[in-house]
Amino acid sequence: MGPLITQGYIDPEWSNLIALILGIGFGFVLEASGFSSSRKLAGVFYGYDFTVIRVFMTAIMVTLIGLVYFNYMVWIDLTKIFILPTFLTSVIVGGVIMGFGFVMGGYCPGTSFTGVAIGKLDALFFTAGLYIGIFVFSSAFPLIKDIYYGGELGPVTLTDTFGISKGLFTFLFVLMSIAAFIVTSIIKKKVKKAEL
Amino acid sequence: MQIKNLEERSKQYINPYFGGVLLGLVLLLTIFITGRGLGASGAVKSTVVATVEKIAPTYAEKQDYYGKFISDDKHPMNTWLVFETIGIFIGAFLSGIFAGRVKKFHVEHSPKITPKTRLIFATLGGVLFGIGSQFGRGCTSGAALSGTATMATAGFVAMIAIFGTGYLVAWFFRKLWI
Amino acid sequence: MNKKYILVIALAMILATGALFLPDKQFTKELSPDKLFFKINNPSRFISTDIIAKKIIDGDPALQLIDVRSSDQYKAYSLPGALNLPLKELMDSSGNISDEWIDYLEVDGMSTIFFSNGDICADQVWILCTRLGLKNMYVMKGGLNMWVETILKPQRPAESASSDEFALFDFRKGASQYFRGGSLVIESEVAAEPVLQVRKKKKTVVEGGC
Repeated sequence: MGPLITQGYIDPEWSNLIALILGIGFGFVLEASGFSSSRKLAGVFYGYDFTVIRVFMTAIMVTLIGLVYFNYMVWIDLTKIFILPTFLTSVIVGGVIMGFGFVMGGYCPGTSFTGVAIGKLDALFFTAGLYIGIFVFSSAFPLIKDIYYGGELGPVTLTDTFGISKGLFTFLFVLMSIAAFIVTSIIKKKVKKAEL
Repeated sequence: MQIKNLEERSKQYINPYFGGVLLGLVLLLTIFITGRGLGASGAVKSTVVATVEKIAPTYAEKQDYYGKFISDDKHPMNTWLVFETIGIFIGAFLSGIFAGRVKKFHVEHSPKITPKTRLIFATLGGVLFGIGSQFGRGCTSGAALSGTATMATAGFVAMIAIFGTGYLVAWFFRKLWI
Repeated sequence: MNKKYILVIALAMILATGALFLPDKQFTKELSPDKLFFKINNPSRFISTDIIAKKIIDGDPALQLIDVRSSDQYKAYSLPGALNLPLKELMDSSGNISDEWIDYLEVDGMSTIFFSNGDICADQVWILCTRLGLKNMYVMKGGLNMWVETILKPQRPAESASSDEFALFDFRKGASQYFRGGSLVIESEVAAEPVLQVRKKKKTVVEGGC
C-alpha cells in the first residue's frame, strides 16, 4: 500500500502539513540526542564522544530492518520510493567537501538548524555559511557542471551495484554497526573525556 | 530522585541508541508516508533560489542551476523540505525547552579558541557544507542518512566520503575542538 | 556490558537474521476476480471507430494505438501510427503480460487502444492488462472489420434516415477520403514501419532529497 502519498492513499495536498509534523519529530529527536551541540558532534572525529555514530547507525539499522519487514508485509512497495541518483564523481567531490565542512564547522545542515533553535550563535553562523555556500555553488554552476553531472549511474541501489540483496545488506549493516558500537565504546574509555 | 540544577540538567541527553531508534522510526515513517527520506540543506537551497528569483528573475530562470528549481505554477519556497525544516526548528526548540537548553545567543567553543575563531570556522564550515551538499545532491540527512537507509549507492558513498574525509582531516583541525 | 544492551543487540541480530531470509515481495496491482468481472461487464472500454478516426485526424497526442495481430497482417494493413505488439509477444511463458511491456502499455496521460480484426483478440489483451491493474486501456469496437465497414467504405444511409445519420455519413465520407487519400500514401506509410517509441514511465514519482 505504501508509500501512502505516492500511491494515492493520502492526498498530496496534505504533504506540507505532514512534512511539518515529521520535521518536528526529526528536530526533536536530533536535539534530544545532543546534535545541537557542535562539540558533541565533532567528538566523533576525536574519540571523546561517539553519539553521532551511535544515533546515525542505529537509525539506519532501524530503517533498513523496518523497510525489509514492511516490504515483506506488503505495506510498502520499495520500487516506488525515491532513490537518490548516483553521480559518482559528484557525490565523492561533494562528500569530501562536506567532510571538511563537518570538521571545521562542527555541524551539518540539519543539526545546525537544531542549534539555531536553541539559540546557538555558531549554529546561526553555520546556517548563514550554508546559504552563502549554496549561492556560490549555484552562481558558479556553469563552470562546475561537468563535475556535477560526472560519473552518472542513475538511481541505482547497492543491490544493483554490488549484487547483494536487501536482506543481506541489512544483515551486514547490523553486524557492522554492532561492531562499531563495541569498538567505539572501547576507544571512548581510552580517550580522556573532554570537558563539554 | 534529586532535582538537578539547570546546568546539569541541560547536559542530560537521551540515550544515543534510544535516540537512534526514534530517529530510525521517524525516517521509516517518512519513507512509508511520502516515499522519500528526510532532508535539510534543500530548504536552504530553496531559500537561495527564491531570493535570486526575487532579485533577478530573468537571470534565475535562464541559469542552468536555478532554472531547475523554478516553475511557473509553484513558488520555490513551496516545497516539502521547507516545511519539514520549519518542523525541525519547532521540534528542536520544544526539545530544548523541555531539557532547559534554550539560551539566548551563545557560542559554544573549545576553551582553546576564542568565540570569534569559532564563528569564523563555523561560517567556513557552513560554506563548504553548502557547496558540498549541492555536489552530493543532499547533505548528511538527505544523502548519507536517507540515502543509505533506502540503499541508494549515492547515499552509501556520500556517508563514507563525509565521515572518511572527516577522520582524515580531523588531525589538522584538532585545536578547534580539543 | 550492560544487560540491557545485550538484549537489544540480540533483538537486532534476530531481526537482521530474519531479514536475510525474507523474500523480496513483488508488487502487482492485480485486480481481484470480482472487480475484474465487474470491469469485463462494463462496455465503456469499447470505443467506436468514428471516435478513433476523429482522434487520428485531429492528431490527438494522447492516443496510443496498438495492433495485436501478427506482424504479417500488420504489414499488410494497419491504422496509421499504430504499433504492432502481437498477442504472443506480449505474453510471457505464464500467460501474463510480461513486465517489459507494461511500461509501454501504460503511459501517464495516454489512452491505449487495442485493435485486431474483430474485437475478440484485442479484448483478450485488454483483459490481461486490466487484470494487472493497468489504467486507460480501451478496445476498438468491431476491430478493423468495423473500421473498413464504417470508415473506409461508409454506406449511404436511406433517404428517410435522420439528419444525425447524414452528419455521421458526411464525417465518415470525409474520413474515408482522409484515410484512403491515395492508397499509395498508405502503402508507403506501412512500408516505413512506425518505430516503437520508448516512452518509458518514470519509475519513481517522488522528487529528490535535499
